[in-house]
Amino acid sequence: MPQVKIIAKNFMDMVASLPAMKLDQLYENAFICEAILRSLPPLAKKFVLQMLYIDAPVSATSMEEWVLPDGVSKYKVAVDRLIQLRVFIETADRKRETTYRLNPMFQANLQKLLIHGEVLAREPMPSNITVRLPSLEELEAYALDQWECFLLQLINSGQAEKPSNISSSVMKVFQKGLLSQRDKEAPRLTESGFQFLLMETNAQLWYIIREYISNSEERGVDPADLISFLLELSFHVTGEAYDIDTLTEEQRYAIKDLADLGLVKLQQGRKDSWFIPTKLATNLSMSLADSSSRKQGFVVVETNFRMYAYSSSKLHCEILRLFSRIEYQLPNLIVAAITKESLYNAFKNGITADQIVTFLQQNAHPRVAERIPSVPENVTDQIRLWESDLNRVDITPAHFYDEFPSREVFEAACDYAREWNGLLWEDSKNMRLVVKADIHTHMREHLRRQK
Amino acid sequence: MNNGENMRLNGEADEEDDDDDANGGLAAWERTYADDRSWEALQEDESGLLRPIDNKAIYHAQYRRRLRSLSSLATTARIQKGLIRYLYIIIDFSRAATEMDFRPSRMAVVAKHVEAFVREFFDQNPLSQIGLVTMKDGVAHWLTDLGGSPESHVKALMGKLECSGDASLQNGLELVHGYLNQIPSYGHREVLILYSALNSCDPGDIMETVQKCKTSKIRCSVIGLTAEIFICRHLCQETGGSYSVALDESHFKELLLEHAPPPPAIADSAMPNLIKMGFPQRAAESSIAICSCHKEAKVGGGYTCPRCKARVCELPTECRICGLTLISSPHLARSYHHLFPIIPFDEVTDKVLHDPRHQTPKVCFGCQESLMNPGNSPGIRVSCPKCKQHFCLDCDIYIHESLHNCPGCESFRRPKLATYDE
Amino acid sequence: MASAPSKLYADDVSLLVVLLDTNPFFWSTSSLPFSKFLSHVLAFLNSILVLNQLNEVVVIGTGYASCKYLYNSSSYSNHGLEDGRMPALCTRLLKNLEEFVIGDEQSIKEDPRGGTMSSLLSGSLSMALCHIQKVFRSGSLHPQPRILCLQGSPDGPEQYVAIMNAIFSAQRSMVPIDSCYIGSHNSAFLQQASYITGGVYLKPQQMDGLFQYLSTVFATDLHSRTFLQLPKSVGVDFRASCFCHKKTIDMGYVCSVCLSIFCKHHKKCSTCGSVFGETPVELDSVSKQKRKTPE
Repeated sequence: MPQVKIIAKNFMDMVASLPAMKLDQLYENAFICEAILRSLPPLAKKFVLQMLYIDAPVSATSMEEWVLPDGVSKYKVAVDRLIQLRVFIETADRKRETTYRLNPMFQANLQKLLIHGEVLAREPMPSNITVRLPSLEELEAYALDQWECFLLQLINSGQAEKPSNISSSVMKVFQKGLLSQRDKEAPRLTESGFQFLLMETNAQLWYIIREYISNSEERGVDPADLISFLLELSFHVTGEAYDIDTLTEEQRYAIKDLADLGLVKLQQGRKDSWFIPTKLATNLSMSLADSSSRKQGFVVVETNFRMYAYSSSKLHCEILRLFSRIEYQLPNLIVAAITKESLYNAFKNGITADQIVTFLQQNAHPRVAERIPSVPENVTDQIRLWESDLNRVDITPAHFYDEFPSREVFEAACDYAREWNGLLWEDSKNMRLVVKADIHTHMREHLRRQK
Repeated sequence: MNNGENMRLNGEADEEDDDDDANGGLAAWERTYADDRSWEALQEDESGLLRPIDNKAIYHAQYRRRLRSLSSLATTARIQKGLIRYLYIIIDFSRAATEMDFRPSRMAVVAKHVEAFVREFFDQNPLSQIGLVTMKDGVAHWLTDLGGSPESHVKALMGKLECSGDASLQNGLELVHGYLNQIPSYGHREVLILYSALNSCDPGDIMETVQKCKTSKIRCSVIGLTAEIFICRHLCQETGGSYSVALDESHFKELLLEHAPPPPAIADSAMPNLIKMGFPQRAAESSIAICSCHKEAKVGGGYTCPRCKARVCELPTECRICGLTLISSPHLARSYHHLFPIIPFDEVTDKVLHDPRHQTPKVCFGCQESLMNPGNSPGIRVSCPKCKQHFCLDCDIYIHESLHNCPGCESFRRPKLATYDE
Repeated sequence: MASAPSKLYADDVSLLVVLLDTNPFFWSTSSLPFSKFLSHVLAFLNSILVLNQLNEVVVIGTGYASCKYLYNSSSYSNHGLEDGRMPALCTRLLKNLEEFVIGDEQSIKEDPRGGTMSSLLSGSLSMALCHIQKVFRSGSLHPQPRILCLQGSPDGPEQYVAIMNAIFSAQRSMVPIDSCYIGSHNSAFLQQASYITGGVYLKPQQMDGLFQYLSTVFATDLHSRTFLQLPKSVGVDFRASCFCHKKTIDMGYVCSVCLSIFCKHHKKCSTCGSVFGETPVELDSVSKQKRKTPE
């Protein structure tokens, strides 16, 4: 599935693909080192910690001895990752044995971190200047609100109540791949667009952020700077106010966009203005890791295919509408039914049954999430059955050959078709065969040569 | 609880009434849903608003009642428990065991729970031994010898799952009487009969056999699956055992597992004695030695007999060379919480809590959970009568059910007072 | 507790409960000064917190006469800068530690007693388990807990039963107890604790490299342990301590009623009051003729 790839691609791959010089530059910032360390697979973290105070290079063979035989594949993944990110530097010693050592910059920064403990990226502003800071709950509600508003705007530009100040060109970039627009028609969600909506918030966020970063060069911003700023942002404390004047020009520009995404909240006092990071921002470095992440669910599915979603969010309603029929909507409850028609609609849009089932399971209401299975089996089975119903007949364009002059010619033709991997059916008794349409021309050539 | 007690004794005679007594007039199928009917337990407060049900407090109150009844038992009788037990389980595999009133059949249910029981038994009684006997076709079959390995018992039982003919109580008792008479005098002799049949097909006078068991100090207990029978009650009364009849599968399991913890020792049922034992040390994981039990060289941790220095593979066992009983001290220690039970904590009364002279701790001593109510007033808590530390209700349960230590008492060294020194 | 609606959990999220031995009797005789030891441990705790944003560290002080919670990373924000440039972990921990050690020494003066040099390991273990139990109760998403005993003082035989109880409770809840023993002789209690609960027991050879030992062995999360080579046990001391003199013995007498252990023959059991008549027997002597030796 090619469309899934754009989503599953890790942000760290993006960091890893930066040129070596840029990477080394990044590691000068202690926060990046910490964020990178946290994003590593557990085994790789262990290796970094183990090598932290070893200055001499360690040979690959002796490192492999740390691992049990079962863990060799994990070990390989870990070391590959470390080399990709230039945390480990590969060298060969005189005996031509591969050895590894830590990136000196990275090492020094981490050592400092362990001895002095975590330091703040930026001093929060004293509370006598900042007035009426939002509470953590308010802040979280704000962040979610902002994010959903953005998503709504993304999928349906007309629907959002308050237009954000993200320039329409940037918005277009985000929409590229998710929406397809034919001339004079309203834009429609593409397959990956639908899948994007079913992903959980952090994955969505990273997708957007990644697009934002890869697009930065066009706006004249260095992607490395942007990455380092975003990672730094994740080490701020949620709910504290930070002075905007401490930011550079470019960062100040970026933070306005981030505010639209709900990553920070901007406030203004009499003289100063400040930004308050929300949970979305501080979670950024955490969600870098390929972790199994979960959030509080809201959907209850009953065995009678009825679905109750405890949500007041318009976005949730839109998402459910992708694969179910919304029956009625109460202030904080959406009642929907999963029907054959609604599912066929979803399948037609390129959503797979597995995605729907995973979505239902991941977003199960806490009261049903404790149960096993959280979504009734008859419902999940039926969803899969309906999907396979659509795949019962596979149409392949083909050509039919008969009346072969001799058995030899027939057999040679069969072998030839097999070689091209295009033989669909053969009947040796009556000397008939069917081949795929795309090798028809080759087949014809072949038969002509036989004559 | 009283209802439950009666019902067990009345057995099947008034089956119709049983249900009514047990669960407020619910049919058996309704009972499955009884737990879900939480709306029925809703309470209203003064202004008619719904009050959230405080399950935790109710649950904890029940727990405390149970704890208190247990501890009152423990304090009246001096802590003497039969920790070295020799238990024969006699399983009725007669025709009656094929009945399907237990699903899928009585036999399958019994076998399933005996397996669980055997494992639980060895967990709680480290030095004890179990033997299995089955009754069918009017005779008793010896299934496994007294032994300390749960696996071998379970394996033997699972290989012999078939029933036929009649059960014979007398033959069963005679068989185990023969075996149990040989065991050392300090061991507690016990028989547990899982009886499905309503009759017993005996070759002679069973009353004589009952008397024989009584004189040999064999404690016989019966768990019936059908109804109460006079002879079983008589047997249990005479030998000091317990008799109960299971209502359904979960009740059967409960009754069976009640036999796992060591019973209070009856005064003269066993001669107390001191047994000489060795506590071997475990060798390093990489060492190589020839073990005396399999007579082959082995790599990895074995145990060394402290008397003759021979190597054995597993504990508990007896040394092949010098005959010393070898046991690891953790094995023994598993039962020590029976010996040094931890006293129930007292509920801290409101009076003490609101007394300005007392400084009430704000957090649970054990887990640091806040003990304050939302309104910053002191919330419900318990305190240890010895060290006076305050604990939350969850810690209270954990400490008494699993930990068996009071964190408060353990974290303060008081002059001349060790935890279990009397 | 504040509800955390969006928790993210990876495999390696761990809760480390560190039991820090502060026994003044041990540290006054140790070759490694306490301050140096502490700097190794602080760096180690920092490294645990750096590894994963969700990792939690709880430090409990194991003193001579008392035990106390010293630090809990989840109760303060890790970032809070208090006085000057010292981050929270150091300031909080050091401040509480100082108070605790002073209080502990105070109680020693009130009860001057020679003989026992041990710390109250049973107390801090019990507290740690209570805390872990609270974490288990907090819901299905919780960090993987483990306990690390940084112990230097010798075993206190009078705590035998309590420590064993704690070990079994930890085993039942599948909480491994790691032990790093920095004293001169091996600790039988900690060997047993780690062996029974599936933790790692290690007695570092070179105290200067303590951090390397800690980070190599004890920073390993439970998930990674399944495929990493960790130090194997060099034997476990399964000797018991007798109830009468609290001596560690490898052979002794066991009361058949209550399984109390004695180092020599008594007439009466001090625990359950049973009176022993005959000379001691060996368990097998009666059943020997009957029992077949299984091969």
